[in-house]
Amino acid sequence: MTDQKGIQVRNIGKSFGATRALDNVSFDFKPGEIFAMVGANGAGKSTLIKIICGYYPDYEGEILIDGKPVRFSSPHDATSKGIATVHQIINQGVVQTMTVRENLALAELLSSEGSSVWYRPKQIDARAREIAEKMGLQGIDFDQEVSELEQSERQMIAIARALATDPKLLILDEPTSSISERETEFLFETLFRLKAMGVSILYVSHRLHEIERIADRVGVIRDGQFGGVLERPFNVKQIVTTMVGELEQDIERHSPDISAESVPKLEVRDLVVEKGQAPLNLKIFSGEIVGITGLIGAGKSELANVLFGLVAPVSGDILIDGVSIKNRSVSEAIENGIFMVPEDRANNAVVPDFSIRQNITLPFLKKFFSNPLGLLRHGFESREAIRMVQSMGVKCESETTNIGDLSGGNQQKVVVARWLLTDFNLLILDEPFQGVDIRSRHDINAYIHANRGDRAILMLAADLDEVLEVADRVVVMNHGQIVGEQHITKIDREVLLHWTSQSPEDLKLQA
Amino acid sequence: MEKLTSFSIKYGFIIVMIASFIGFGLAEPAFWGWHNLFSILLGVTIYGILALGVTFTLVTDGLDLSVGSTAAMSVMMASYCMVVLEMSGLSALFTCLAIGALIGLVNGLLIVKIKIPDLLATLGTMFLIQGLQLIPSGGRSIGTGMMLPNGDEAMGEFSESFLYLGQGRVFDLIPTPVIFMIALALVVYLVLEHTRWGRVFYAIGGNSEAARLVGANVDRYKIMAYVLSGLIASFGGVLLAARVGRGDVSSGSGLLLDAVGAALIGFAVLGARKPNAFGTIVGAIFVGMLLNGLTMLNLPYFWQDFIKGCVLVSALAFTFSLAKQR
Repeated sequence: MTDQKGIQVRNIGKSFGATRALDNVSFDFKPGEIFAMVGANGAGKSTLIKIICGYYPDYEGEILIDGKPVRFSSPHDATSKGIATVHQIINQGVVQTMTVRENLALAELLSSEGSSVWYRPKQIDARAREIAEKMGLQGIDFDQEVSELEQSERQMIAIARALATDPKLLILDEPTSSISERETEFLFETLFRLKAMGVSILYVSHRLHEIERIADRVGVIRDGQFGGVLERPFNVKQIVTTMVGELEQDIERHSPDISAESVPKLEVRDLVVEKGQAPLNLKIFSGEIVGITGLIGAGKSELANVLFGLVAPVSGDILIDGVSIKNRSVSEAIENGIFMVPEDRANNAVVPDFSIRQNITLPFLKKFFSNPLGLLRHGFESREAIRMVQSMGVKCESETTNIGDLSGGNQQKVVVARWLLTDFNLLILDEPFQGVDIRSRHDINAYIHANRGDRAILMLAADLDEVLEVADRVVVMNHGQIVGEQHITKIDREVLLHWTSQSPEDLKLQA
Repeated sequence: MEKLTSFSIKYGFIIVMIASFIGFGLAEPAFWGWHNLFSILLGVTIYGILALGVTFTLVTDGLDLSVGSTAAMSVMMASYCMVVLEMSGLSALFTCLAIGALIGLVNGLLIVKIKIPDLLATLGTMFLIQGLQLIPSGGRSIGTGMMLPNGDEAMGEFSESFLYLGQGRVFDLIPTPVIFMIALALVVYLVLEHTRWGRVFYAIGGNSEAARLVGANVDRYKIMAYVLSGLIASFGGVLLAARVGRGDVSSGSGLLLDAVGAALIGFAVLGARKPNAFGTIVGAIFVGMLLNGLTMLNLPYFWQDFIKGCVLVSALAFTFSLAKQR
């Protein structure tokens, strides 16, 4: 065992107060392999990563590099011993107001060891080029400020810098959570190249389809304990089963029967979202769940923002049950029965210091939860919150628990639940499964399917698999246009992916 | 251990307060006299009232630094209205309140529409108002008999009913400003904790984007918070003018820090960890009691700011360290 290459973690354990976060977990990360780590939210993944990257110096068990036991006193120490980490939130890894060059050579710029007090442009430039070359970073303007770059480019810079330390192990935490499908492909190419260079990669993600594609082995953490290691070949279903045990039967789909003459619940007629773009036409019928997929920037969120009254359309109509409506503000949209669960839960939906109850009732305080004097009806509020918590299966002590104490998946259940208190015409779910574990995803999906009634539901996601999980009909957007649609019974993934990735030139030829 | 922590988070502040109340009384029995207790309350009324206004802006995750100078402006305006313009007490009162609300509106618009960060915007208006209030009287304090620029003497007087606002005693015992403070505290408490508007104020402070995306008119609520703050501050100024009975140019000094301090100390009361009306008033009274007690024990007056600072820093440290481990 002593001459084994790579990084091993042995019998790792960690407690926070009375909570046992990790117990006796062991994994091997071999050189030149992509090792994926999965686990439900709260299973202990992030605790283990923080131990491996030196963030928690205090833990049980040991970490071995090439067979030799090591102990990290700080993240910096871990980096110097060969562990490089690229964290989930890309913008924490780059300095927005500095140029690409300065970001690449950031370590040299900031370190105090043996460097000069003067800013030496030539030296910085040389170092930045060296790092970029190693990563195979091409076609990027070194003088550009990072704030002007795409997410994936920023991520590449963060990864390039991580690689500059010649790591034995590169940890990527949810690297694809905020980049588009095309950008993801670019990331994967890079990972395969790094793998060929003999770097071991620890890849942490919720996106099991990605893992199925790229990982050599999958390590599972379940309730803080070692849940097993899967070797190729494996599929998503096996991973899920290892993660959370058997899920209930697949959700029954009752796609509604739609006759050609029936009036759609929601109709978007010749709607121009942004100046110069082609008009959009879309119908969603009663009880139908339509999923729109497309790359980031394809115009999904822009359409949703217009429907929800956040942005005024350039021209065109929105019709509910055949009647044209105007949403000049969010509150008017809500009056018209159009609700939206926005993307990016933490920034756009959750009120962090509020209880679950206060988060659920927020949109309808005036309508249901206060009297004409504005006084809150606490008893009724509490009963309704309990009803929603129970029917959505939110895992919590009580409805007065602070929402910050919940896992991401349960927080998402709460922000979906707030819109299900009352009847609606259209519910928009924008990236509803971002950072949501598989079980919560299943719960939310099942609830929506069971309770859709005669309403219209519009789900937006860049990840095709997420859309396929929920929708009766899949619509593809690309560069602000609707380029095609398929019914769930006649899905052809290749065609859908082709539609998503067409360039503007291809789209023009078709038109 | 955990129980002890959560107990001390919740009741620690109140226990310290009760302990010092008992301690001062044992050391100096006169401390417990009715007269002294009401003089403590009277001493904190002005900045206690200002602090209630500040609480609104803190709840929406802003801060109004102009409350002190708004109150001072109000003192000068009330005096100017009655002494120079010879207006009635009632119209002087409403003029002051209108000006206070207007200052709040300007603050709100600067912050919401022009998007100046709250601290900078209200720092700017603080400066502006501090200067503006001196202009009508030519930089001098206003009192009956003062010389006007045209050589006449100002003949107007503070009306009796106006003076009663600051100097009267209900049942010959409770000073009227204390009644106003407690009544206002109750109203602010009711609004913040038990009405939908209060809930939305807190939601905006927690995550304004989330509040916007559930249909709240965030801009209007934020402006309203500053209008209320200005209105309440000008009312505090009216009470101060009524108590002093003249328009003193230096009357507003120190009010801002005392008011903001009280509202921040309020975070620690009952483990609230957020701005709240009850905590604000308890915080204000605690500081007043401490200063009164220490003065009785012959602490020199120049120690006062130091003591206030110590209380504020400990309360904040308590709120943000201990309470965070919850």
